[in-house]
Amino acid sequence: MVSAMRGVLLQCDVPTKEFILSLNDSKPTNERFVILDLDDTRLFVQPTVVEWLEKRLKEFNEENTYQPPRREDMR
Amino acid sequence: MVKADPDGTAEDKPSLKIKLGGKDVSTAGKQGSGATKLKIKLPAAKPELIEPANNEDNEKPVKKEKRTRKRKAPSPDEYIPVGAEIEGIGADDIEELSENEDDYYKLGAEDNEFKDYASLKLKPDHANRPLWVCPDGRIFLETFSPVYRQAYDFLIAIAEPVCRPECVHEYVLTPHSLYAAVSIGLNTQTIITVLNRLSKVQLPPEISEFIQESTGNYGKVKLVLHRNKFWVESPFPDILRKLLKDDVIQKAHVAAPEGDGFTVTAGLTEQAAVDLTKEVEMAEVEEIADGSDPGPDPAAADPGLAAAEALAQAEHRERELHSFEIEPSQVEHVKARCLPGGLNYPMLEEYDFRNDTVNADLNIELKPHVQHRPYQEKSMAKMFGNGRARSGIIVLPCGAGKSLVGITAAARIKKSVLCLVTNSVSVDQWKHQFKLWTNLQDHQISRFTSDQKELFAGVSGVTITTYTMVSYSGRRSEESAKVMEEIASREWGLLLLDEVHVVPAQMFRKVIGIVKAHCKLGLTATLVREDERISDLNFLIGPKLYEANWLDLTRAGHIANVQCAEVWCPMTKEFYREYLKKDNAARRQLLYVMNPNKFQACQFLIQYHEQVRGDKIIVFSDNIFALREYAQRLRKPFIYGGTSHQERTRVLAAFKRSSEVSTVFLSKVGDNSIDIPEANVLIQISSHAGSRRQEAQRLGRILRAKKGKPGSQAADEFNAFFYTLVSKDTQEMYYSTKRQQFLIDQGYSFKVITNLLDAAGGANLQLSTRDEQLDVLAKVLAAGEEEAGVEVADVTDDVTRTKKALAQRTTGNMGALSGAHGLTYMEYGTSKAQKPRLTTKSGKTRHLLFRKHAQGKL
Repeated sequence: MVSAMRGVLLQCDVPTKEFILSLNDSKPTNERFVILDLDDTRLFVQPTVVEWLEKRLKEFNEENTYQPPRREDMR
Repeated sequence: MVKADPDGTAEDKPSLKIKLGGKDVSTAGKQGSGATKLKIKLPAAKPELIEPANNEDNEKPVKKEKRTRKRKAPSPDEYIPVGAEIEGIGADDIEELSENEDDYYKLGAEDNEFKDYASLKLKPDHANRPLWVCPDGRIFLETFSPVYRQAYDFLIAIAEPVCRPECVHEYVLTPHSLYAAVSIGLNTQTIITVLNRLSKVQLPPEISEFIQESTGNYGKVKLVLHRNKFWVESPFPDILRKLLKDDVIQKAHVAAPEGDGFTVTAGLTEQAAVDLTKEVEMAEVEEIADGSDPGPDPAAADPGLAAAEALAQAEHRERELHSFEIEPSQVEHVKARCLPGGLNYPMLEEYDFRNDTVNADLNIELKPHVQHRPYQEKSMAKMFGNGRARSGIIVLPCGAGKSLVGITAAARIKKSVLCLVTNSVSVDQWKHQFKLWTNLQDHQISRFTSDQKELFAGVSGVTITTYTMVSYSGRRSEESAKVMEEIASREWGLLLLDEVHVVPAQMFRKVIGIVKAHCKLGLTATLVREDERISDLNFLIGPKLYEANWLDLTRAGHIANVQCAEVWCPMTKEFYREYLKKDNAARRQLLYVMNPNKFQACQFLIQYHEQVRGDKIIVFSDNIFALREYAQRLRKPFIYGGTSHQERTRVLAAFKRSSEVSTVFLSKVGDNSIDIPEANVLIQISSHAGSRRQEAQRLGRILRAKKGKPGSQAADEFNAFFYTLVSKDTQEMYYSTKRQQFLIDQGYSFKVITNLLDAAGGANLQLSTRDEQLDVLAKVLAAGEEEAGVEVADVTDDVTRTKKALAQRTTGNMGALSGAHGLTYMEYGTSKAQKPRLTTKSGKTRHLLFRKHAQGKL
């Protein structure tokens, strides 16, 4: 019998994939979401974590970008 | 409010009816001129979409408002208000453009910034005027206006520049900038009049109030050192009377011998201020004479001009100055009392050097071949505007000739000069500059560093030393102490402070108190610090007298035309994985610096510039491990803190002269000390946490004007290049953008190169195989903690250390420690043990018994 697992295919670039893998490693064993690591740019993950991943990715990108502070009125 | 014509006539004509401040002002005729004058930098498609959208989508805007993010702007969004801020396009705006493509575009789209200035009244001939003045103190200057030159000079005197790119400059009025304006002689009324004259809109009442409030009390009172006595001087005797009523000042007051009145003297007018206002008037006259806009204004301008002439005439007469004398020892208290926290009459300090007979003159003259550039003359004019020397700060870009400005000031004052610099290499450079530009001899210039402790022969001369030497508070060697004593007890005519942005630091502030100087001049290229103490300089030294515009100087050919570029290098998979691991947090910097792609980019750039263009290249790196790796793999010489002085000179000499050594790798030591005029290309592979000042200082290494190559040199051709190599998706991106802010404000724009290595094709670059990369990775991970960090620059080489090391090692055995060898205890003096004192710390005498103990009689 074939047992099928439902998941989501993620396609991204190399650094993002590394980032997702690192997020995966940081979770305790029973909560890991990566089902299969296909190749350099594709991953097969559990469907439930997609939104959370998007949020974390956005945060990570914002950490790495600098927004110059709005110049307040100097008076 | 835009009212789109309901009967559809608006659809034919491109004009809009725009309500401005309650009145309907048809903009049919002016639409074209209005749009061009605003110089909106939009992506090409947008301007055409705005107008048809206004006419068709009448109901849509209401719905759109609900869909978009909350907007605090009271007005609907279809038009561009006349006085709107011209913000750049942020990333948010671009996203929004793609979402709501078909209706409208909002300038400066962030919520809380979109300010509506439609209520400002536009003058009919606004096209002739160069300034937008906004009620919150911001001023925008159009650089393409015909009166740009004069308006720029005026604005730089009264406002702080915020951002000066190519087409539209932004300035802001602050209390400090107005203080600076007053200190060079502009008074409240002049500022308001000229600002009004240059502004496209009627001057908002808030601005007039702000200017009056800030300048009301500034500049009315001056502290003058005249004939070796301190005088508090003012053209207004009633202010002096008010000051005298205060206790502190009353105590310090020395009554004049001839009774109760104030001493009255005549003073020269403020030439610099008069010149500024005259220039603006002249420019105005030319404008109107061109006949560009016949309106009611020329008639109004003429009486205005006549009045201004009369004013100028009046100023040319000598003014009367009243003054009273105060005790020299109380000067500091009087100054502190008059600050805005106390009586709120901040005192300007001026030095009447021509009449100073007590301090010995120094026979210093500039050499006849010395030619000043226009901006150097302007800064001198601001400093010596009324025949006296003002204290303050002059800001000029690196390589623009700051040393000459300082030396010219010294030559004008003709008294003893104390010059403070950051490190011992600079000491030598300044001495060289003094000898180059003036007729001073070796015996008149003395250097005071840890290597040489000289003092000049004769009663007057120039001493050059470092901040650390003067502010060192520990014990000094014998000779050091003697020289320091001499420095502290003498009255210096001029205190020259190089790289004055370091002075607010806790350690260096003391310098101002230790050295007694009549006039203080601070010189720097980068008046920024990452903490908030830069404004302390206003009270430590003085207001900012002059600031030059980097782009203007570039256009005039005084500094090199630099192309700044940021090269994005993607991280390799393995390196990135290590970077993300939490236990590698300390090594993160090392990981993104040793990124193999970055290495290849660096190698490619070096090869290209060396071989194809024949440039001289400097590569900067803060991180020593990286520096050595790169330099050794590429077989180039490198200099860091640990390199011996001999080796440094050898390498630098080879770099300057021989064509074999075209690239040199430098660490932090190269930031300030080393002067290499011939470098054309700067590559930065690692940097220290976002310091804007450091980025600008590094750029200064290559800003010295280049002689043109034998071929042609087009006006737009770049002759210097500045590359920052950044690893993508790491913290470095963040720091890099932060560091660039200062340079961006000066007008430089950073080009981003994302695909450098696509062009690399055939060049055989190192680290291209996975094995080599993994090798490097292993090395990086094995590197120790301290190697992974930033180099600690060796700043202590200027100060003699007489302190003993904190820990001492001796050999012995355990038995001796517990008395097994007959030694039970031993007394020895440590520096902590206090000698018995005769008085307590607060000065009261101690009890008789203690005193006797101190004297050893007990």
